[in-house]
Amino acid sequence: MTYEDRLARFNEHIEAGGKVEAEDWMPDDYRRGVLKFIEMHANSEIMGAIPERECLPFAPSLQRKMSLAAKIQDEVGHAQLLYRVAEDLGKSRDAMYSDLINGKSKFHNVFHYPTAHWGDVALIGWLIDGAALVTQAALLESSYAPYTRVLKRICAEEQLHLRHGEDITLELASGTDAQRALFQDALDRWWLAIIHFFGPRSNPNKDLLLRWKVKTRTNEDLRQEFLDRYVPKVLELGFSFPQPVPYLDDDGHWRVREEDIDWGPLEAVKRNQGPETARRLALRRKLWEEHAWVREALAEPAVHVA
Amino acid sequence: METFEVFRRSGHKDPFEHCGAVIAPDPEMALLMAKECFFRRREGDHLWVVRRSDIHKLPDESLLDIAADKSYRFAHAYRDVVAKRERARARARRIQEAS
Repeated sequence: MTYEDRLARFNEHIEAGGKVEAEDWMPDDYRRGVLKFIEMHANSEIMGAIPERECLPFAPSLQRKMSLAAKIQDEVGHAQLLYRVAEDLGKSRDAMYSDLINGKSKFHNVFHYPTAHWGDVALIGWLIDGAALVTQAALLESSYAPYTRVLKRICAEEQLHLRHGEDITLELASGTDAQRALFQDALDRWWLAIIHFFGPRSNPNKDLLLRWKVKTRTNEDLRQEFLDRYVPKVLELGFSFPQPVPYLDDDGHWRVREEDIDWGPLEAVKRNQGPETARRLALRRKLWEEHAWVREALAEPAVHVA
Repeated sequence: METFEVFRRSGHKDPFEHCGAVIAPDPEMALLMAKECFFRRREGDHLWVVRRSDIHKLPDESLLDIAADKSYRFAHAYRDVVAKRERARARARRIQEAS
């Protein structure tokens, strides 16, 4: 069978809602696209652990500190699952890690920004995990089956993280003026980055991942779902949004105006030049180097001495 | 390093189910990795790891297709049992009336 025949059969399979396994034949562009996508997701989980790690000392109680530490461990666990799935597409974990710490691959925009206080933990846990869950739940229908299987587990844990974040937010929202100010300040600093999180408007003609149903929904569709779900919840707690300020459209949907979105900061982040990019990658590099002996020790089967 | 497939059993009445994979140098370390990756909330009561190279799979999923009509292997083939029971009862009544 020629490459063209195989490609035609693959396209038909996908068009009919078929799924793809790691060992199945797939076009090179599909393999590269899925690999890059999952690699970025894995990178984001492991880089996403850092901002929250920075917030551990802000925890107001031992209970809060332990629950945040458990959440961070979950995020690192997600990275492990995702790197494993990506490896089966033909790139070693060492290569992925090396590309990450050398700034050659990408991770989600929200993890390039600084954290300031406990209000950030509330906001990240509720709204950023909420945004992530909207995108990840949409991927449960992805054509690449091994990815959907780990996403099932990841989404279940993210659901818990969302509850965790909402719990902290509600505590701040029902507390003192100073506590409420913590959340409002976090919202003011993070809102634009959350809007960026979903990415610019998708181009279905150009986006191979959409065509091959690796992604099943467009960026703007996912952003819309997020706005409709979370904007009213934030407003009912008496907080207010910075630019781009959401408004209720005649059709009952919460929207932001395209012209209110400043895409500038996202462009810098895409070049790995966000405010915290270099420092956080340096931390990952340092950990990678310091832990080299662990990887070496684990590279060979254990020898049990009687 | 080798790839190990991970299987988990939810409870004594359940079968082991595949839940993912880990990379490890030996089964002992694979079990530890699997526990950290898949059992942080005690998601089961038992755990297996199996070398991926020891798993043999069907070369082609279509081999599972059933070649001919074998509906007699399924419960839905016997759905008219209610009507048949009625007919059999009616027949039995007629025999009784005749005797």
